[in-house]
Amino acid sequence: MNTMNINPQPPVEKLRSLAGVISHSLDVDPGSSRPLKMETRDLGLFYGAFQAVGNIDMRIRANQVTAIIGPSGCGKSTVLRCLNRMNDLVPNARVSGQVLLDGSNLYAPGVDVVNVRRQIGMVFQRPNPFPKSIYENVAYGPRLYGINRRAILDEIVENSLRHAALWDEVKDKLNHHAYALSGGQQQRLCIARALAVEPEVILMDEPASALDPIATYRIEELIRQLREDVTIVIVTHNMQQAARVSDETAFFMVNDRRMGYLVEFGPTTQIFTNPKNKQTEDYISGRFG
Amino acid sequence: MKYLPPMPNQTSPLRRLWNHGDRLWNGSLMFLAAAVLALMIAIGALLWVQSAGAREAFGWSFLQPTASPRWNPVADRYQAWPFIYGTLVTSLFAILIAVPVSLGIAVFLSELCPAWLRLPLSWMVELLAAIPSVIYGLWGIFAFLPAVVLPVGQFLGQTLGQIPGLRLLFSGAIPQSGASRLAAALILAIMIVPTITAVTRDVFLAIPSQQREASLALGATRWETIWKVLLPYGLSGILGAVILGLGRALGETMAVTMVIGNSAQGTLSLLLPGYTMSSIIANEFAEAVSALHQQSLVEIGLALFVLTLLLNMAARFLVWQVARKGPQQEARV
Amino acid sequence: MTGRTLSNATNITGVSPDDPPTLPRRLAYIHPRQSHPRRAVNALMLGLTGLMTLLALAPLVWIIVYVVARGLPHVNLAFFTQLPRPLGMEGGGVLHAIQGTIVLALLSSLFATPPGVLAAFYVARYPNTPLGIAVRFGTDVLSGVPSIVIGLFGYSLIVKQQGHYSAVAGGLALAILMLPTIIRTTEEMIKLVPANLREASLALGGPEWKTALSVILPAAANGVATGFLLAIARASGETAPLLFTALGNERYDIGAIVRGGIAAQQSLGTILGRILNQPVDSLPLTLWKYAQQPYPERVDKAWAAALVLMVLILLLNGFARLWMQHRASKMRG
Repeated sequence: MNTMNINPQPPVEKLRSLAGVISHSLDVDPGSSRPLKMETRDLGLFYGAFQAVGNIDMRIRANQVTAIIGPSGCGKSTVLRCLNRMNDLVPNARVSGQVLLDGSNLYAPGVDVVNVRRQIGMVFQRPNPFPKSIYENVAYGPRLYGINRRAILDEIVENSLRHAALWDEVKDKLNHHAYALSGGQQQRLCIARALAVEPEVILMDEPASALDPIATYRIEELIRQLREDVTIVIVTHNMQQAARVSDETAFFMVNDRRMGYLVEFGPTTQIFTNPKNKQTEDYISGRFG
Repeated sequence: MKYLPPMPNQTSPLRRLWNHGDRLWNGSLMFLAAAVLALMIAIGALLWVQSAGAREAFGWSFLQPTASPRWNPVADRYQAWPFIYGTLVTSLFAILIAVPVSLGIAVFLSELCPAWLRLPLSWMVELLAAIPSVIYGLWGIFAFLPAVVLPVGQFLGQTLGQIPGLRLLFSGAIPQSGASRLAAALILAIMIVPTITAVTRDVFLAIPSQQREASLALGATRWETIWKVLLPYGLSGILGAVILGLGRALGETMAVTMVIGNSAQGTLSLLLPGYTMSSIIANEFAEAVSALHQQSLVEIGLALFVLTLLLNMAARFLVWQVARKGPQQEARV
Repeated sequence: MTGRTLSNATNITGVSPDDPPTLPRRLAYIHPRQSHPRRAVNALMLGLTGLMTLLALAPLVWIIVYVVARGLPHVNLAFFTQLPRPLGMEGGGVLHAIQGTIVLALLSSLFATPPGVLAAFYVARYPNTPLGIAVRFGTDVLSGVPSIVIGLFGYSLIVKQQGHYSAVAGGLALAILMLPTIIRTTEEMIKLVPANLREASLALGGPEWKTALSVILPAAANGVATGFLLAIARASGETAPLLFTALGNERYDIGAIVRGGIAAQQSLGTILGRILNQPVDSLPLTLWKYAQQPYPERVDKAWAAALVLMVLILLLNGFARLWMQHRASKMRG
């Protein structure tokens, strides 16, 4: 409950200032008719008998950034991990409903989960590069697909590092150990690593929460530039970040049975300036959470 | 209202000791701890002293490889190379077999096994280590050698024994009883699997799950994740586990003595009977008459002690290394 | 590609205008089908690890079944209650070995437990002092010393000085074997006792030694006891350390010694001395000797001894582990 307001702004003023941020940041008309890339239909997740999230209907459009916000514990990361079937790794987790990529259900029987994860990549909260060189971290994915010729790998590594805005900083030390990089650089390395397998979607689970403000800013710039190549879904607990970075936003809450659900979903400008749901407005204006 | 009786005047020295014996207590603790340390030093020292005669008589040539070994209690001339060779070749061959098996089991137990099966299977693997060495020897002589070692030895002689590079190792015919260095190596392999497996499994469990997740999220299969990410990550720990297993194999006595045939010839082949450092001590020490004979055997014991000491230290260091690894992110900005 | 153009002055992301606008797609031509060989390799290797586990457990099952099959027919009352008959004659038992095993177990527990527990107290209390680090190192090293080397140590230290083999020497050798296990387990159990328990006792005015013995030790007792059981189980199965210390004694009969002593009106000390100061046998030692004798009755006895020994050790191990499990689940609540 946020009762600490040094300079209390009336809610309307706060929304307007956020809108100012948004209109300077975005250069894409949100909510335009971009094709649908991913969709969840009545998605739910159970741990045994306990339902952690339920009734999630989201539409994720191609070449856009979709943000998922909400108070902690409302299932944001859980839903994100359903999108690339990472929850398969949890022993007693059970998924209900559907997750569609380009119209096909990822949870249909017989779907090759390895392929799913190639098409839908993931960047984690804490950077987790492999204990290998920078080059080998990025080349890990392509090598899995049998690409071993040095020339091609060099090209893929350079392209991925360029598009992760890391190339200029590491091009002379590709053989250095990944752990020698700073936190922000390691996270960009993880993004480059994910880009190297040419996914169509990248999921990001609070990618900047372990980083300092400058590194955070660079990651946010990167996310907006990556839009042209991939579709991005980002979970963040930082509302301002969602406002700066995303085209559409999903707001989650948790009900009194501790189940996470989707409260409102729409273009970011609309969510932050004119939310349809009172709960959304309360959260955005800082009345709680 | 006071319920406790007034504290008696603490003048009696016995009472003072009873209530404040801390210095005595801490002193005793320190003494015993030092005694444990002293024990380790004492073992090395005593072995050194008791082998003095042999060391002076034969010098370093006692332990060196030689084409004409001589172990002759009658003539009182001793040279230990056949036993050193026997120990090394049986232990290394045992490691060769045990390491892939142990890695496989550790991978299975830590990555693939359903949770409810993990503990019972781990126990069963540890039971292999609990069975006494003599029982391994007994079972070896009567069951394992005729049923497994003999056919395997014959097979190896016919196949690997024909390859030029390996002919030395697999020449000759394995005796009908199966008693051979091969038998010792195979039984040693069974005995050290639990050691290597237990440490390796702990190494795998200590690897942060984010490494697994990062690899799987890139679309790697489980096996690719294990082989390309987890094994390299835990390599120093696994190496430590292997060295621990090697140390155990070097020191194993009873089972080896019962199945190795106890022959001090200078042959090299795995298929023929041989001797190891520990089994020669076991067989001859109690009946050693001359002082030089005894001292030579003690010197062999000293060599064994130093060898296992060094291996143990290397292993502990390597296992400790894995725990220290990690992406040090907070240090740099 | 230095990227030092005007636009880069404000562009801090590192993406320069010369970079290709979109990500070229190189892997797009890979048909999803190409993951099939990878899936096959994945399934194959993971199946192989399961196979390795079965491969390692097969000898365990084989040994247990074989020992039971060969030993059970020869386990009878006479086996437990009679001394051996002369070579070549039927009947008799291994009473001497059973008594010897019990005597040795008692002696080694006596020798190992107090110093081990107290040294563990020191190490748990002062883990980072030079002595603490040295003792932990020494314990690790000691646990890797081959048991036959410990036997040599026991011989040089006691048997040679006393001029005869004895149960005391054997007990000491086994105690050295048990020491690392006891120290390590006790240390870990002590560290698990919550710090505030110790502080509460000290704050009430209790001296360190009373705190240790009446507060910490009982709290850690369960774990210490299971560690002790495991150590005893290991020591009971050892043969090599006894070869030159306890040696073996087919005529050992405590009952006869006591009766004879009472009849001759000897003092308790003398009788005790006679029990402890002569060579003794143990189950593994007897097994070792009988297995290699050419008399079928002796070999049968060896199998029976193997069965009894195996059952004893499996029971001790199983009981200790179940106890640990029960405690662990109780702590999880």
